[in-house]
Amino acid sequence: MEIWRLPISASQRGKLISSGYTSLSSLSSISSSDLARELKVSESEAMNILKVASHSRGSETSNASCSIVEGAQSAWDMLHDEESLMHITTSSADLDNILGGGIHCKEVTEIGWSSLSLIVNSVLKYKLTTAFSSESIIFMLIGGVPGIGKTQLGIQIAVNVQIPNDFGGLGGKAIYIDTEGSFMVERAFQIAEACIEDMSEYNRFLRKDFQECKIKMLPQDILENIFYFRICSYTEQIALINYLDKFLSEHKDVKVIVVDSVTFHFRQDFDDMALRTRVLSGMALKLMNLAKRFSLAVVLLNQVTTKHTEASFQLALALGDSWSHTCTNRIVLYWNGNERYAYIDKSPSLRSASAAYSVTARGIRNSSSSCKRIKMM
Amino acid sequence: MARLANLETEYPVLDSTVRNFCASHGIFSVEDFLIHDLYMLAAFAEQNDSSERLKEGIAQVLSIIDDMHQPWLNGMELLEDAKRNKHVFPTGIQGIDLLLGDGIHVGQLTELVGPSSSGKTQVCLRTASNVARNHMVLYLDTGNSFSPQRIAYFLGKTISPSSAQAKNQFLQKVMSNISCHSVFDIFAMFDVLHQLESYLRCQDGRGGCQMRLLIVDSISSLISPVLGSSSTLGVINSKLMDTGRALMTSAGYLLKKLAHQHNLAVLIINHTVGGEGGSSKPALGDSWKCIPHSRLFLSCDRGSNTYNVSILRHPSMASGKAARFVI
Repeated sequence: MEIWRLPISASQRGKLISSGYTSLSSLSSISSSDLARELKVSESEAMNILKVASHSRGSETSNASCSIVEGAQSAWDMLHDEESLMHITTSSADLDNILGGGIHCKEVTEIGWSSLSLIVNSVLKYKLTTAFSSESIIFMLIGGVPGIGKTQLGIQIAVNVQIPNDFGGLGGKAIYIDTEGSFMVERAFQIAEACIEDMSEYNRFLRKDFQECKIKMLPQDILENIFYFRICSYTEQIALINYLDKFLSEHKDVKVIVVDSVTFHFRQDFDDMALRTRVLSGMALKLMNLAKRFSLAVVLLNQVTTKHTEASFQLALALGDSWSHTCTNRIVLYWNGNERYAYIDKSPSLRSASAAYSVTARGIRNSSSSCKRIKMM
Repeated sequence: MARLANLETEYPVLDSTVRNFCASHGIFSVEDFLIHDLYMLAAFAEQNDSSERLKEGIAQVLSIIDDMHQPWLNGMELLEDAKRNKHVFPTGIQGIDLLLGDGIHVGQLTELVGPSSSGKTQVCLRTASNVARNHMVLYLDTGNSFSPQRIAYFLGKTISPSSAQAKNQFLQKVMSNISCHSVFDIFAMFDVLHQLESYLRCQDGRGGCQMRLLIVDSISSLISPVLGSSSTLGVINSKLMDTGRALMTSAGYLLKKLAHQHNLAVLIINHTVGGEGGSSKPALGDSWKCIPHSRLFLSCDRGSNTYNVSILRHPSMASGKAARFVI
C-alpha cells in the first residue's frame, strides 16, 4: 500500500485507508474539498494530505533522463569536491596526519575518551578492542585518572576552525554545545591567544615581511565567534538539535559543531531503552543531515567505558551497539603510560592508526617526545 | 488498487447506482471488493430493484480484477530470463566471491550485517567500484560514509600502471557511473526509490549503460528512528510501532520488487544489536529477517587486520560457511 509511505499522521492514514484511498494515483484527481468531506477532516488538513501525495508523485514523474535520481552526485564530482574541501587542524601535526589532514567537513566525527589507563603496551590492542566495542552510554567514573583532554580538544577545534583562509584554515565560526558544563571560557581565551601567536609566527616565517606580520585578529574576536549553548536535559538537547537547522540557515559561516558530550543526559534519564535508541538514532541522522547540507564538521565527544563484571559488561555492549553505528568516524583517546594517544577506530576512508599528542598550556600540541620534529617544520 | 469512483470514465457500467450499492456494503475500491464475500453481495444484488445493472457492475469489477495479475511464466521462460538477465556481479573481494560462488546475484537482496567498523561499508565501496566498470550504480548514503577517495584507491589498484592521463580517463569514466545520494529519513528514501523506479522503467526500453546495482548504506539507521520495540512501548505507542513496522516491510518489498522487475542487484547494510548472552545479532528483528534473500555476517579481527564473513542465509549456499578476506 503506497499510502503507508506518505509522511502523514497515523490517524490521517487510517482515515484514508478506511475510505478506500490506498494508492497515490487515487489521490491524483480529487479536490481538497471532496477529500475533506469524505474523510471528515478540515479542508486545510485535506489540502496538506494532497500536497504531500502530489510531492511524492511529482518526484516520480519529473525525471530528467541524465541522472538517475534528482540530487544525486556522481562519485567523480564528489572526488573533486572532496579534494577542494578544507580540514580543521587539531594543532597537533601527528594527529592531523593520521586524520588525513584534520577533522573533515560534511562528516560526523565521534571522539571517545577512554577512562581506562592502559599502561602495558602489549595488552593495549586487546584492551582497546574491548574498550570501544563496548562503547557504553552508561556512565562509569574511574577516579584518579587525569583528564585525557577531550574538552581541550573540543575547544581547540572550536578555535582552530576560525583560522582565516590565508593561513590554511576555514575562517568559519563554531557552535559549542555543552551538556556537562565543562567548557571553560578562560581556557578558550588562552588557546585563542596561543593560536593567534602561532599564526603570526607562521606569517613571519613565510613572508619574512615585518610589515605584514601583524595579525588583525584578536582573541576577543575568536571568543565572539563561538556560539555556546548550555544544555541541562535531554529534551533541551533534542530541541536544540531541531533548532540548529534554522540557526544554521541564518549563520551560514558556521563550520563546526562540537557536542560535549553527546550522550551525557541520555545516560541517566532514560528507563525506556527502546525509546532511547530511537531518539538517539533520530538525533544522529539529523546531525548527519546538517553536516551534509551546510558542509560543516560535527564533532561528538563521548565516553567509552568498560565494565568489569561479566553480566554488566554484556549490558554495556547491548546499549552501546546501536549508537556505535551512527557516526562516520570514531577516534578513541586513551592513556599509554604517561602519554596521551588518539586511535582511529572507525573510518570509511582512513586506515586505523594511532598518534601521541599532549595537552599544553597553549592547547593541543604534538606529544613532547616528538616536539623537536614539529619545531623543524 | 483503484477506487471505484475513478473507474467510471473507463467503465461506464460502474455508475453511481452501482457505486452507491457497493458503498452501502463498505466497498470503495477494487481492493475492498476482493476481501468481501461475493456470494453475499450477489444475494443482496438480487433483492435490489435494479439487480440486472448491479450484477453487470459486479461482473465488470471481477473482470478488472482478472486482468490485474502479472502474466504467467513457465519454468523454461524463467530459466531463460535467469540466464539472460539474472547475472552475478563479482564483489572484487576474492574471499567473498569464492564464498558466494561468484558474487552477488541480480534480482536479489543481499544484506551485510556486522558490528561497527567490521568492513561493511568497505565491501559496498569495493563492489560499487567493481560493478561501475560496466554498469551504473546508485549509492544511498545515510551516514556520510561514501568515500570517493576510497573508490579511486580501489580502482587505481586494479589497473596496470600506464600514463597518468589514461589512468585519469579511466577513473573519470568509471566514477561517473556511480551516483551517490544522501538520505536522512525513510520518507526521503521512498521518494528516491520512486524516482528510481520511473528511471528504470525508461531505462529498460533503451540501450546504453544500464543501472544494475543499488546500495543502501545503511537501511537500519533509517528504520531505527521509526521503529520501537514491542516489549517496552505501551498501548499509546503501539500505533507508532505499527507504523514503523509497516514502513519497514514496505521498504523491504519495494527493494525486492525493484530488484526483480528491473534486474538490479541490491546490497543493503544492517547493523547489529546486542542479543541474549552477550552475542550480537542483526538489528531490525524478526519481521525483517525474512526479507533479504541472503545475509552475510561480517566481523573484523583487529589483530591481523583480516575480516571474516559467514553466511547466515543464502538461497543456494549452505549457511554457516565462512571465509576470510583482506581489504
